[in-house]
Amino acid sequence: MTTDSAPSAAAAGHATSTGSGDVVVCLEGIRKSFGQTEVLHGVDLTVHSGEHVVIFGPSGSGKSTLLRTINLLEEPSAGSVRVLDKEYGPAGGKRRGSPVELRRLVGMVFQQFNLFPHLTALNNVTLALRSAQKVKRDEAEERAAHALRQVGLLRFAARYPAELSGGQQQRVAIARALSLDPKVMLFDEPTSALDPELVGEVLTVMRKVAESGMTMVVVTHELSFAREIGDYNVFMDEGVIAESGPRGFFDECTNPRTKQFMAAVL
Amino acid sequence: MTHLVASYDWGLIWTNKAAFLHGLETALEVSAVAIVISVVVGLLLALARMGKPPLSWLAAAYINVFRGVPALVSVIWVYFGWSLVLGINFSVFQAGVIALVLLYGAFISEIYRAALEAIPRGQREAGLALGLHPIRVFVRVILPQATKIAVPNIGSMFIGMVKDTSTFTVIGLLEVVRVTQNINSLTFQPFPLYTAAAGIYVVVAFAVDFLVRAMERLLATPPSGPVARAVNARQRRRVQAVVQRVEAISGAR
Repeated sequence: MTTDSAPSAAAAGHATSTGSGDVVVCLEGIRKSFGQTEVLHGVDLTVHSGEHVVIFGPSGSGKSTLLRTINLLEEPSAGSVRVLDKEYGPAGGKRRGSPVELRRLVGMVFQQFNLFPHLTALNNVTLALRSAQKVKRDEAEERAAHALRQVGLLRFAARYPAELSGGQQQRVAIARALSLDPKVMLFDEPTSALDPELVGEVLTVMRKVAESGMTMVVVTHELSFAREIGDYNVFMDEGVIAESGPRGFFDECTNPRTKQFMAAVL
Repeated sequence: MTHLVASYDWGLIWTNKAAFLHGLETALEVSAVAIVISVVVGLLLALARMGKPPLSWLAAAYINVFRGVPALVSVIWVYFGWSLVLGINFSVFQAGVIALVLLYGAFISEIYRAALEAIPRGQREAGLALGLHPIRVFVRVILPQATKIAVPNIGSMFIGMVKDTSTFTVIGLLEVVRVTQNINSLTFQPFPLYTAAAGIYVVVAFAVDFLVRAMERLLATPPSGPVARAVNARQRRRVQAVVQRVEAISGAR
């Protein structure tokens, strides 16, 4: 596990926190500008197989943008993105691959769930299986039903998103991403849009996903949850990784900005 | 007063009902073909309008010009103008359809543009994140939701089309007004005859409204209404079967 902001990228070398597994995600020198404003100033991040990386920090620090570059929902202005063998190099470079192929290795869960409102819970899950992976209808429905069962919503398979609570919708969204058998799951503040009493059920499902050995990158404000699952913790501030560290990070962090943020949140 | 009303021959409506109905049939046929093509043209125009220049400029220019052209002018232009310039001789039916598509394609493109822009950005992102090709995201995720929003307005457009067919009497299309004129020229009873014509258009408007409401219920989530109940029941049975199968498998483990 190596994370660093660009200026000191070389210094940390490739020290790994968990020491486990192959590299699943490798971001190198990621910069991102919206118009004249650069929001990511060259970020490196490596995620190994089975690792749970937690990213936190104040709003506007670039954490969601960084997460969204992993599946190229945000195209980096500079730097390269690699997920397993799929590489997406800098604009104009030779290694520029297909975003669609890269995305098939990556599952994503959004803050606003983004379920398809015109489809039932089951068909929200089957859509990608059938259209992107060309799975036959019967098999797709069976796999979707299994995925819904994993998040405890099998009996709501025929319901539409509008007929589900926020927590249930987010669990369907997790099932939808999981059913595609991704190599890494991205969570972009998955509980931030939920009523407080619905947060628990979503975290429970995420905990189960983590226990299954899934590689995860989680942007969250739930610091107690972060502390619990985070094999590697990344604090972002003003478009760079201000501080990062393995388990125990929350007690051992030294950067005054990190401490200040945690004091404000906790 | 009474003798004036009585002096009108209201029975003419009944005796000419076959002609009136035939006129209605023609009007509906032209409009039905035109609305289907207009929706396709409108959608493509909307996409062009939302795309990159210079295509978006061309689309915007087309939309703004043709929304301003009256149907009467459009049909004369197509039927007489195009045949002179292009040397193609359209039938009155074809000319009517083309005249309507030229105008309503422009209107419907604006309806679709508003509907497409109303879909939250997260829907596209969710589709892309699932590894769907951008075109598939559009067809499977964005378009169905936008169409649901557009349907009531497209229904209004259809009512407008049926009424606009009345101007096609100038090229001799045997629609409701032309039929009315023909009967009137033999009977000199404009008041009852044109009242009947007006009544026909009003009935069409009500019928279209009814159909549009049925479609809205069908496209609602969850769907409701008699048609949806049948479709939905089938879908629910299918889902139940899958659920039971999976429960049986996982229960057996």
